[in-house]
Amino acid sequence: MEKVNTPFAAAYLRFLQLAKVIQALPNGMEMDANEKALLQAVVLRWYENQPMTVREAIALADLGSPATLHKRITRLREKEMLSTLNLEGDRRAKFLIPTERTLDYFNNLGQSMQQAHQVVPT
Amino acid sequence: MKIRIQASLETTALTLSSAVLFVGFFHLNGWLFADLAYSEGVNWVFLPAGFRVILGLILGLQGAAGIMLGTWYLDHSSLHTNLWLVVLNGVVSGFTPLLVMKVLRRGQSAEQLLQQMTPQRLLNFILIFAAVGSVAHHLVWLLLKHSDVNIWVDVWPMFVGDAIGALLMLYLLKLMLTKFKTL
Repeated sequence: MEKVNTPFAAAYLRFLQLAKVIQALPNGMEMDANEKALLQAVVLRWYENQPMTVREAIALADLGSPATLHKRITRLREKEMLSTLNLEGDRRAKFLIPTERTLDYFNNLGQSMQQAHQVVPT
Repeated sequence: MKIRIQASLETTALTLSSAVLFVGFFHLNGWLFADLAYSEGVNWVFLPAGFRVILGLILGLQGAAGIMLGTWYLDHSSLHTNLWLVVLNGVVSGFTPLLVMKVLRRGQSAEQLLQQMTPQRLLNFILIFAAVGSVAHHLVWLLLKHSDVNIWVDVWPMFVGDAIGALLMLYLLKLMLTKFKTL
């Protein structure tokens, strides 16, 4: 195979290689597996038009204790993956809803799944 | 023949661009972080260190030569009083990242090194490069300036400045790439 031997072309290709690594640098907003599981549960309920309240979320016993889940919700809110909503007439119930960032995240997952499906030979 | 001339011109352009970028960001750094200066040429945040990493990885020898030329230009006022200090300062400034890369490559080509590069390895590379660069600079200064260098104390601001500067530059590039991607 012929190698790229002009300095400009080689520099550009190495830039692309480095850019790929730089884009994967951690930004402190990554979620761990437990946070992802909680986010999925919350977003699924929101998708089914039955948004979950904070009280319901911290009662998801299969995902952890109430104290742990409360901390996890706080972390997800700090990462701008969850937001809260108070319905008029009931100030006590605080609903958990996805943010723009969350929808982008699920959109990317959906696109990745579609790409993977296209790559698999039929 | 024509291809060889074109390659020489491209190499010269890349080398000079590296020098201009390094000098430009050296002045920008001096302006932005003047309050964080530790001593002449040493700052607790040193953005041009990012170009040492980026240009070293992308351009290799051309990047190193460009940074060396840029450093010589920045030090040119001391050329008559301490020629060897200026010469060696430039060589260390430009070629330290290349030396670190050579050691880490273990016989691989630069393309192979970049191909196998992960975010974790890149962060390790920055720390190693900052450590080797700051020690090498201070050894040169200790050998040629003798009196006013306390290597055990002075090496730390440069190490921290190079590491933070390189990280800031990489994250700035990450931000720009993300913005560019969404346009």
